[in-house]
Amino acid sequence: MFERDEDDPPPAKAAFRPLLRAGARFGREAAQRPILVFEDVYKSYRPGAPVLRGMDLAIERGEFVFITGPSGAGKSTLLRLLYRAERVDEGRILFMGRDVARLTTASVPFLRRNLGIVFQDFKLVGSWTVFENVAITLEVLGMPARLIRSRVGEALERVGLHGRGHDPASVLSGGEQQRVAIARAIVGEPALVLADEPTGNLDPQLALDILGLFEEINEAGTTVLFATHDRSLLDQRARRLIVLDEGKALDVPNGAIPVGCDNELAI
Amino acid sequence: MIHGTTRRASRGMLREWRLHALSVFSLAVAFVCLGAALLVVTNLHAVEERWSHAGRASIYLKDSPSHEDVEAFKTALGSVPGVTSVRFVSSGDAQSDFAAQIATSQKLAALPPEAFPSSLEIEVRPDLPDAELSEIVRKLKLLPAVEDVETYQAWTERLSRLVKGGVAASALLAIVVFASVLAVVGSTMRLALQRRRTEVEVLKMVGASDRFVKGPFLLEGSAQGALGAVGALVLLAALFAVVRGRFDGELAALIGVEPSFLPWSLALSLVGVGALLGMTAAAAGLRKLVTV
Repeated sequence: MFERDEDDPPPAKAAFRPLLRAGARFGREAAQRPILVFEDVYKSYRPGAPVLRGMDLAIERGEFVFITGPSGAGKSTLLRLLYRAERVDEGRILFMGRDVARLTTASVPFLRRNLGIVFQDFKLVGSWTVFENVAITLEVLGMPARLIRSRVGEALERVGLHGRGHDPASVLSGGEQQRVAIARAIVGEPALVLADEPTGNLDPQLALDILGLFEEINEAGTTVLFATHDRSLLDQRARRLIVLDEGKALDVPNGAIPVGCDNELAI
Repeated sequence: MIHGTTRRASRGMLREWRLHALSVFSLAVAFVCLGAALLVVTNLHAVEERWSHAGRASIYLKDSPSHEDVEAFKTALGSVPGVTSVRFVSSGDAQSDFAAQIATSQKLAALPPEAFPSSLEIEVRPDLPDAELSEIVRKLKLLPAVEDVETYQAWTERLSRLVKGGVAASALLAIVVFASVLAVVGSTMRLALQRRRTEVEVLKMVGASDRFVKGPFLLEGSAQGALGAVGALVLLAALFAVVRGRFDGELAALIGVEPSFLPWSLALSLVGVGALLGMTAAAAGLRKLVTV
């Protein structure tokens, strides 16, 4: 699945070579290593106003982690650093043992093939059908058409859109569009799914449905990082919570924010 | 992979067909200019070829030579190496030929036979070098009975200069066309990229390489260039057919060569150059691909 396409550049020296994938067999030593490690990460967009300052964080395989914090706390920045839309100023981000910050530009596509990314604004191509929007993940991997058809069918079934493959993406409701985006994120069976405010544009009930979908994906073995500032969602589930504030990460293992901290954090 | 690229390219072109049609039309106009210049040069070259190998010379004689003088001349000329035939045209014959050609002007046709010098028309081997022909002409001019000797060399030289001028003009036009292709296709691609920003973002998010993302755009640019050139050729062929249908006989009589359209090889080259230029222009327009 992670073979090179004919079109791809030859693997660079620092090309991303995944060690593990969800559902794949792996050695005990590798399994004990966290899937994601942030080590003393600094990032600022303006001098003197760092978004992340010396952030440390480790996420184990198969975890479901909420990332929260007030607007501008760095939730999206953290995810963007992870899929290399941004580069760290200092520190390391190890994904499956590889330092994301040190990947060459040619290796970034290989990194992203191991990630599933879901956005608040869905990022679907409106003129494409539901099938095409999901299938593109596998087309990029160079999969044969027959396999793509069956894998996309399975993914759409998992998100509750079975039989909707021929519908244009633009005619779907917000909740349905987000389901398509989730199907696109999971169809390649990535090791890690990143969700950046995926329920931000949805009403509370739809938001819960979408959260449920992510939980199902997590139960199947995929690690999920779910960034949200929606307190009601956090209250619904006792999950590990990473609260970002003033460039640091406060780790709340069972999701219960210590008394007095919630006002201070102003989530 | 190629199938996927082609599919995405054709889908993109169909979706943005107005934009692409406008671009193809602009390119076709540019290519028509180049094609027309090439068409003129091709036909001028054919005329030059035809006359440079005409292998003929007219020897105009002083006064009215006697039959014996003419026969002596013919025998002497017939023995010159390279001369294949000698024909005497008397003043009367020359006047009749002229009257037949200028049928529309009665005043000219009424010119007396004395106005037309008698001449000897010689034909030389087509492969006779210009230097040898010049030498024959030089020697003939020295003869007292000879008024003047006319060959087609001077005319073909003028034609040759004209062809060279045409080639230079075509080269300049080619530069203009290349620049316009780069500008039109590059702008179209940048606009298409802007309109399909989400598509590009999605592709990059799911791990597509730059080549994968750019592939359809390059194909679209290439198709635009090729279609522009094909459109120009079709337009030019239609114009050529109209002109040829109207002037064919007169043109052929005037220049001695039937006008012809661009040869297949040149037409195909034009399409190939269009495709290549279109692809290059698209690549240049996509240098700054959406950064995600």
